[in-house]
Amino acid sequence: MRNLLEFIINHSHLLLFLLLEVVAFLLITSRQSYPQSTVLTASNRVVATTNQTADNIAAYFHLRKDNEDLNAEICRLQQQVQDLQNQLEPLTEQPNDSASVYQYAHLRYRSIPAKVIDLTTNHQQNYLTLNKGTQDGIAEGMGVISDKGVVGIVGRVNERFALVIPIIHTSTHLSARILKNGHLGFTHWNGYDSHQIDLMEVGRHISVSMGDTIVTSGLTPTFPEGLLIGVVDKVRLEEGDNYYTIRVALSVDFHQLRYVQVLDNPSAVSMQQLVDSALVNNE
Amino acid sequence: MNNTAKHIIRLVVLIILQTLLINNLHWLGIFHPSIYIIGLLLLPATLSRTAELFIGAAIGLIMDSIYSTAGAHMAACVAVAYFRPLLICQLIQDANRIGTQVCSASIGTRQFVILALLMIVLHQALVLFLEAWSFDHTGWLILSTLCSAGVTFLLAWLYDRTQR
Repeated sequence: MRNLLEFIINHSHLLLFLLLEVVAFLLITSRQSYPQSTVLTASNRVVATTNQTADNIAAYFHLRKDNEDLNAEICRLQQQVQDLQNQLEPLTEQPNDSASVYQYAHLRYRSIPAKVIDLTTNHQQNYLTLNKGTQDGIAEGMGVISDKGVVGIVGRVNERFALVIPIIHTSTHLSARILKNGHLGFTHWNGYDSHQIDLMEVGRHISVSMGDTIVTSGLTPTFPEGLLIGVVDKVRLEEGDNYYTIRVALSVDFHQLRYVQVLDNPSAVSMQQLVDSALVNNE
Repeated sequence: MNNTAKHIIRLVVLIILQTLLINNLHWLGIFHPSIYIIGLLLLPATLSRTAELFIGAAIGLIMDSIYSTAGAHMAACVAVAYFRPLLICQLIQDANRIGTQVCSASIGTRQFVILALLMIVLHQALVLFLEAWSFDHTGWLILSTLCSAGVTFLLAWLYDRTQR
């Protein structure tokens, strides 16, 4: 017993060092199984507020660029309104069943505009912080897009801020489709180049070539079908491989990302309930 | 200026610089310098080892919450806080020469360079490897460690020059 006490006293620094390292490793491993630990969100509020203040100051330096972007967006939207009115006109004249189908497709997703107040692009696990939270109607699991394409999924949310896990996060896998032939795959980020992403599980019998458009599949309630993810940049097929190695150039430039829209799908909950009840019945 | 206040202000300034400046620069995706470690590196050599370990853990946790890296910075900072006093004892044979300041003027240029390089590379390597949590891209991580540590060392060296 005395020997043990002496050992502890003689090696107190080593033991404290090991104890602190064990705590750190527990934090790291808990993050691996559950990416957004509670430690992170508790303090993220402080960090997010600091970042917002810094961002408010920095915002003055790119007002001109922001104005140009907003103008471009207004022009695009005006064009879209015009196009939709043109589409709507023949439908309103002769109301029939197809009109209600169109209406349904538009109403399914509600979009909430938000501003990016903090983002990382140079880590393995990147995050975005948005200036909107539960009080603006944002909930976990909602899809996030920008005017250029898919950005990511809301991972964690508190009253005022939302933490988004972007597609450039090593544990994000998004169901995707090759637009020209409809074949499915899923996205995977290699962790290094924030302009590129890999498309996995596309079999060798499928025809893929450079310049093909990759869009969301619409198989999950998070994103509607056909949202732009990127364009095929490189296709490789090794001898004996069953699957292509496809490099996709992302349509969203994360370095310049400032404004996004969060997609709220009101039918997502009922869809999930249906799936859950089916799983319970199977057991 | 009061020595304690000087150390605290230096740490706070470095953490703010790290968060608001370094974190927002994207240097080819390969430079992730952790400049705040300079504050830990230059703590007084006479600091109690227990206090140093707790300071290291606290700074690590702060950086983890800023970078959303849960534990990687903490593990690296604690390692630096543990090995720094051991290395200082090894480097300086003449016990009388250990002053409170850790700088090239008081411990010698060669000793300071060895100490700074080893601690910065140790810290940088731990942060990057623990954050990646795999050995899939070891070559890339080693390159990134060396580039980032180089930048941090250069800053530590320049800071040391200004203190002469």
